[in-house]
Amino acid sequence: MSDTTADKLPPNGAEQKSRKSFVFTQELIVAIAAAVLFVFFSLTLDNFLLPGNLVTLVRNVAVLGLLSLGMAVVVIGRGVDLSLVAVMAVSLTVAIVLANEGMGFAEALLVGLGFVVLVAVVLGFLVAYVEIPSIFATLAVASIVYGLGRGVIADLDVNNIPNGLDWFLFLGRGAIFGIPVSIWIFALTALVLYLFLRWTGIGRFIYALGDNLQTARITGIPVRPIIVLQYVISGVMAFLAGAVTAASVASMNMRIVNSTVIYDVLLVVVLGGIGLTGGRGGVRNVVVGTALIGLLLNAMTIMDISYTVQNLIKSAVLLLALVVDALLNPRDEQTAQQGDI
Amino acid sequence: MKPIVEMRGATKSFRGIPAFQDVDFELGAGEVHALLGENGAGKSTLTKVIAGVHTLTSGSLFVNGEEIVLHTPSEALARGIAMVYQENSLVPSMTVAQNIYLGSEKALNRLRGIYIAAQQFLQSLNFHVDPSALVGSLGAAQKQMVEIARAVHHKAKVIVFDEPTATLTPEEKNYFFNLIQNLKEQGVSIIFISHALEEALQIADRITILRDGKLVASDVTANFDREKIIRAMVGRELTGEIYGQAKSRVPRKRGRKVLSVENLSMGSIVRNTSFSIFAGQVTGIFGLVGSGRTETLKVVSGVLKRDFFHGGEVKFEGKAVRFRVPAPAVRKGIVYVTEERKAEGFFETMGIAENIYMGDMSKIRGGGLTVVSMAHAVELAEQWRKRLNIRAIDPNAKVIELSGGNQQKVVIAKALVQQPKLVIFDEPTRGVDVGAIAEIHHFINELADQGIAVVMISSYLPEVLAVSDRILVARQGKIVEEMEPQNATEEAIMYAAVH
Repeated sequence: MSDTTADKLPPNGAEQKSRKSFVFTQELIVAIAAAVLFVFFSLTLDNFLLPGNLVTLVRNVAVLGLLSLGMAVVVIGRGVDLSLVAVMAVSLTVAIVLANEGMGFAEALLVGLGFVVLVAVVLGFLVAYVEIPSIFATLAVASIVYGLGRGVIADLDVNNIPNGLDWFLFLGRGAIFGIPVSIWIFALTALVLYLFLRWTGIGRFIYALGDNLQTARITGIPVRPIIVLQYVISGVMAFLAGAVTAASVASMNMRIVNSTVIYDVLLVVVLGGIGLTGGRGGVRNVVVGTALIGLLLNAMTIMDISYTVQNLIKSAVLLLALVVDALLNPRDEQTAQQGDI
Repeated sequence: MKPIVEMRGATKSFRGIPAFQDVDFELGAGEVHALLGENGAGKSTLTKVIAGVHTLTSGSLFVNGEEIVLHTPSEALARGIAMVYQENSLVPSMTVAQNIYLGSEKALNRLRGIYIAAQQFLQSLNFHVDPSALVGSLGAAQKQMVEIARAVHHKAKVIVFDEPTATLTPEEKNYFFNLIQNLKEQGVSIIFISHALEEALQIADRITILRDGKLVASDVTANFDREKIIRAMVGRELTGEIYGQAKSRVPRKRGRKVLSVENLSMGSIVRNTSFSIFAGQVTGIFGLVGSGRTETLKVVSGVLKRDFFHGGEVKFEGKAVRFRVPAPAVRKGIVYVTEERKAEGFFETMGIAENIYMGDMSKIRGGGLTVVSMAHAVELAEQWRKRLNIRAIDPNAKVIELSGGNQQKVVIAKALVQQPKLVIFDEPTRGVDVGAIAEIHHFINELADQGIAVVMISSYLPEVLAVSDRILVARQGKIVEEMEPQNATEEAIMYAAVH
């Protein structure tokens, strides 16, 4: 027994307290930073408070937030889902293509949703049962899904929604009580996921297996079905994000798969305070992270910072957030052995 | 004799808690020095300071009369101090020769060259190991030879062994003792940590005994005998209380047969083993490392899978079962309390209540569909905290912040909240403080009294003898012997366990 002395150590109250308050501040700092930036941009950027810009901002925030919610569920279970954007773009393309061929749009959307669930189940199977690290499984599946979209499902990158679907466009363009519908969708989804993660057994099990997969297994938690479920949830989030995107511009552009959106999503999740080591964080972290990153992206566009420089800035912030995450939630030897991403 | 390694007023603390304090230690040149003491007495930490793994909190370390601080193991190695760890530190996928020369290869490394050199080198040490064999394919004793050869190759003048004989057979042990003599004749000083008192008395020149981090005795071997050592090691009556009851109590009678295992096989680790477990008693399973005792019971509880073909049969409560994952085993009433608490015992980001609640929710099919009730979780935690006497300063403390004994109690509570019919404790008192050991033993007895079938795997003979109503001994993947605790002795059990 080489570490019995370490075992005997009593809990260190002071250290524990400081860590608790730090988690609290990490979330709060991000929220405060978002609020400060909002005020700052309102005062300094001429076009920031224009209705047109606010609508764009809100729509982007909703899409980013929905994707991040999906990513968060997977990351809490100590995985990562890099297929979100591909699934989002292609599933909506499936629905649009079918609608253009004469199927009712509601039915076509259901087929798109079915496509998402199918992909998610395959993905979950690869991660949970074949035991491929999630980062590689999702990367491969993302390529396949995108390839299917471009090569088999549709002939064009951009597919337009057929005319006369005002009820669907309402999701992206409408407002209820003056608040855009897309924000309602994000808020409602966030609420549902919060309740799911916080107050259902399965939600707690996701935290458990993100914390320690082996312990979860021995405790009798059905870990593999739950991993599959995580990917189904993230797929459905991607589908919702796709629906909001398609509804706001009346089309779906598959080129978004080649953009850096997936890194924005990672940025939101990590910056918001959901540790990549799993088992930590929740919906609130996603909400504050989304607000901050959404604002930053919007302001950089208004300031006319070039796309490439924007990417540079985002990457730098992402790296910084990853470093902070690694310092806050270090991976010890044992964690590393449990096959994390 | 001028000491080659010397410590004066040495103290090493972790987070303010001393592992050992104010120790004066001397190692003479060409001396074989045995370091004895209970688990957690500070032996390993002391030797790790000498080997450069830890640095002293206060006090001083002298090597060859020069006061130094060793910051890394390689610094220690440069000064001729090598450590052979309990866990092998060899690279299993490399050959013997590659392992010996690891870290000292030339820029252009010719395999054939090092095989020839290694062959000659091993022969000069009188080791019969094939230098081109993969280390992963060697037995425990041969691995140890390679470790020693590596230490000698690095011109070590001091070699520290941490429990070198724990996994060796008697024959291999004799071989090892000869080796120590050889090294000694070459002027190498040796420190070895051991739990085997006879070995220390047999081969050591000098014996130092630590108790609770303090040096209690250090003298030439001739001035010690077994009783004197034990008195110095224990220094209190507590062990008598915990372990001395074996002969005085009547073992419980067998209840109904809960589990029967026939011809169970898994790879090369579990080989065609058969045994039964009965309700209302504690079945102690003893076996050395490599005996497959943990793996056998892990197969029973679904943590590992048995061979698909010719895997044998497991009957639980009369029905044939085959668990591929632990979840169905848990629901049927078999729980496994792991020996590797930190790696697979508890959820470190969660508190005591939530850890126990995880066990509670997963005990039934569809438990994930329940709505979380923190009130229920807190109530459960309170109930188990009382039952197992879990001590935490803050009830919301994360389990990782508790002491080893309290962590173990949480792991046990998380398993027992699932109302099992068969509980498998794997090394339930490993890395647990003495007070908690007594409580855990008491609790294990209580479970058996309630009519639950209890299995306790342990490598500590006094524990096996004191707690078991029936003793099974595992050897090389098989349960080979069954004994009654009244008739069993440490020697008899060990005799059955070695091969």
